[in-house]
Amino acid sequence: MNNKKISKKVDLTGVRCPMNFVKTKLALEELEKEEFLEAVIDEGEALMNVPRSLKDEGHKIVAVDNNNNGTFTLLIEKGG
Amino acid sequence: MNDAKNKDANNANQDTEHVFDIAEYKKVGFIQQKQKDYFAMRLHAVGGDFTAPQLMAIAEVAYTYGKGQVHLSTRQGVEIHYVHYSKLEAAQEKLAAVGITMGACGPRVRIVSACPGSSTCRWGTIDTKEMARYLDEKYFRSDTPHKFKMAVTGCPHNCAKASENDIGIMGGILPEWSSEDCIDCNLCVNACPTLAIHKEENKKESQYLLDEEKCINCSICTKNCPTDAWKEGRAGYIIWIGGTMGKKPRIATRLTGVIEDKEEVYRLVDRTIEYYRAHGRKKERFGHTIERIGEEKVRKEILYGTE
Repeated sequence: MNNKKISKKVDLTGVRCPMNFVKTKLALEELEKEEFLEAVIDEGEALMNVPRSLKDEGHKIVAVDNNNNGTFTLLIEKGG
Repeated sequence: MNDAKNKDANNANQDTEHVFDIAEYKKVGFIQQKQKDYFAMRLHAVGGDFTAPQLMAIAEVAYTYGKGQVHLSTRQGVEIHYVHYSKLEAAQEKLAAVGITMGACGPRVRIVSACPGSSTCRWGTIDTKEMARYLDEKYFRSDTPHKFKMAVTGCPHNCAKASENDIGIMGGILPEWSSEDCIDCNLCVNACPTLAIHKEENKKESQYLLDEEKCINCSICTKNCPTDAWKEGRAGYIIWIGGTMGKKPRIATRLTGVIEDKEEVYRLVDRTIEYYRAHGRKKERFGHTIERIGEEKVRKEILYGTE
């Protein structure tokens, strides 16, 4: 994972689409622009949809790590 | 006894008492029920689209001439059941007044099904409705060795089930990567549903490479890439042939990769239908024709043959 300063972390394992995106969006609302959120999501559909939804909202995924246990960790920079 | 009126010049009018030319009726979408005096009216549709006034007219016809029962078919069609043979003509006229014509049954081209495509869906790569209309206008109800079904779907999510149809057209893209926009986030490597993207580690700068054999042209990489380092290089149409359900289901064979030229797609569709007409046996679905003759032989003949 990057050495960016993470302002907030959310664990969304077991949370289904679209709630995982909704909760990520809500968590990002608490951050200032250009701050970083770390979100852990399940493998599968989430990884094909959450990043795209975040992109539409103006946020930016800067790193994706496969945790090799059925989950992925996303590092997200809050957009404007 | 009512005549089965239709626009097909080859169809003679029937004038029998309780004896129906079932094959001719099927041709124009009148399907005899188990209750032999009653017919299901199979209506024509393109990509499953109707207007509200049309649906209201269908409901009214079902009440007036049927038993108020409407059935939605698996390929986006509509049927009015329980119409007595004496009422078929009148029902047909009421439907024609709102621009609804009859569908088809039997060994011929059926109605074309389609997903919304680029008109309203964010994943839609192609204008599915325009293509569905073209195919319908050119081929609907024309004779084939056995029933022939076509579908147009906007992307590899395949909502209109292109790979279950005799001919399926599917929108798709071929992604391209550019290093200058890439921020090495590794999303593409992880998000690709077929793991077709991998990172080349042994270079000064990372490189992300696509295995085109594994790529299913779905655009998940290009749509999710945070910096658009993955972009749509080519966008167009993928042709699938020989899909079928029924007693012996078969998933279609991919005839082509992504073709950009719509006219080329139409040319290959025409060659495919002509091939089936020339080589398919009666009651043999196109997919089973392909199995019998051999997938590669059929592909080559359609793509490069001189017949």
